[in-house]
Amino acid sequence: MKEETMDAEKRLADWLGDSGESTRVAGDSLLMELDTLYAGSPAEAAVERALAKLRAELGEENPVLYYGELAASPVGPISVALSEAGLVAVEFGEAGPEFLEHLQRSHQGQAVRSPERAGPVLRQLAEYFAGQRDTFNVSVDLSRSTDFQQQVLRAASRVPRGGLATYAEIARQIGNPRASRAVGQALARNPVPIVIPCHRVVAADGSLTGYSGRGGIRTKAQLLVLEGVSSYTAALS
Amino acid sequence: MAAPTRPEFTELVARFGRELYVFLWRMLSNEQDAEDCLQEAFLRAYRAYPRMQGEVNFRAWLYRIAGNTARTQLKRRLRRDGREIDLPDEDGTASQQADADLELRERLTAVRTAVRGLPFKQQQSLILRKYQGLSYAEIGAALDCSPESARANVYQALRRLRSELAVERQE
Repeated sequence: MKEETMDAEKRLADWLGDSGESTRVAGDSLLMELDTLYAGSPAEAAVERALAKLRAELGEENPVLYYGELAASPVGPISVALSEAGLVAVEFGEAGPEFLEHLQRSHQGQAVRSPERAGPVLRQLAEYFAGQRDTFNVSVDLSRSTDFQQQVLRAASRVPRGGLATYAEIARQIGNPRASRAVGQALARNPVPIVIPCHRVVAADGSLTGYSGRGGIRTKAQLLVLEGVSSYTAALS
Repeated sequence: MAAPTRPEFTELVARFGRELYVFLWRMLSNEQDAEDCLQEAFLRAYRAYPRMQGEVNFRAWLYRIAGNTARTQLKRRLRRDGREIDLPDEDGTASQQADADLELRERLTAVRTAVRGLPFKQQQSLILRKYQGLSYAEIGAALDCSPESARANVYQALRRLRSELAVERQE
């Protein structure tokens, strides 16, 4: 009787894959019936349908934002966030919880730290600050900006490193020459400073009238000097 | 060193969505219920995800949520239909094989009923170990118990099934 019990236990262990030995279910009707009931797989079409529905539901209701940060730069720590479509935020001086809070306020969806997604843009920013990069090669997601803001930001992104443009010039470029003030406001709402170089746009007399990034005009001057526009060195002292 | 980074939530869906569907399908033996529970489980997981910190076995964590969702669904079904045993899907493997043999079909129904009659933890442990291929450590993490206790649950489930079905078949 004892031997019988041990034999039964051994058979269970074999069947469960706990013994490292092959399964011997022949003749054990319970184990065979369990396999008949549970070892099968659902129809592939049903699996695909369920997964597609799940992806759609999660994607639509809860866009994911990927974020990461550069711990140090000449303008302090820099945090970035990306949607599936591209870069949505660049913030100076904010890192960790502060940036997350900012992100939750301004964007729906779940923020997920992702060195993989944030890596390329952070690397390019580091290269930019090291003077090794003039232009950025990243997709930018401006879907939260108005059409006018997008036009202005696209025009600003064509101003090269070391160069300057005026608000009036940008206004003319977008075919709206009387809109310099609106151009200034659109640039103040640039969600991705540096990557879209709104700091290269100045007043007609060359003065740095404003900068939305942390540190304001001083940061603007700092970026321009870094880019070799030496006429703003005085603004830093 | 920075804290270990969490996988992105969408990555969890990509990595574990399929096996969790299969798990739910096995627990519920119905495609529509499995699909609904999969949505529900992942939405619950999604809401809890921001609070997950440190070293987490995400596979076990998702199985825990999916298991709870399945239990709720079974209770709901019981209330709604007044019975816990559903008819297997018409295109399910079980029914195709069972159709050929009424007697076998009866036996399979008896086995499924007996499995459903097990304490939920035992039922779940058995499916997780044998059909989902989880280690006892993972089952323990999913069911909030030690690996030893997870293992004991599986063996108890089988012994209990054996004795219950043996009595039934003698009658």
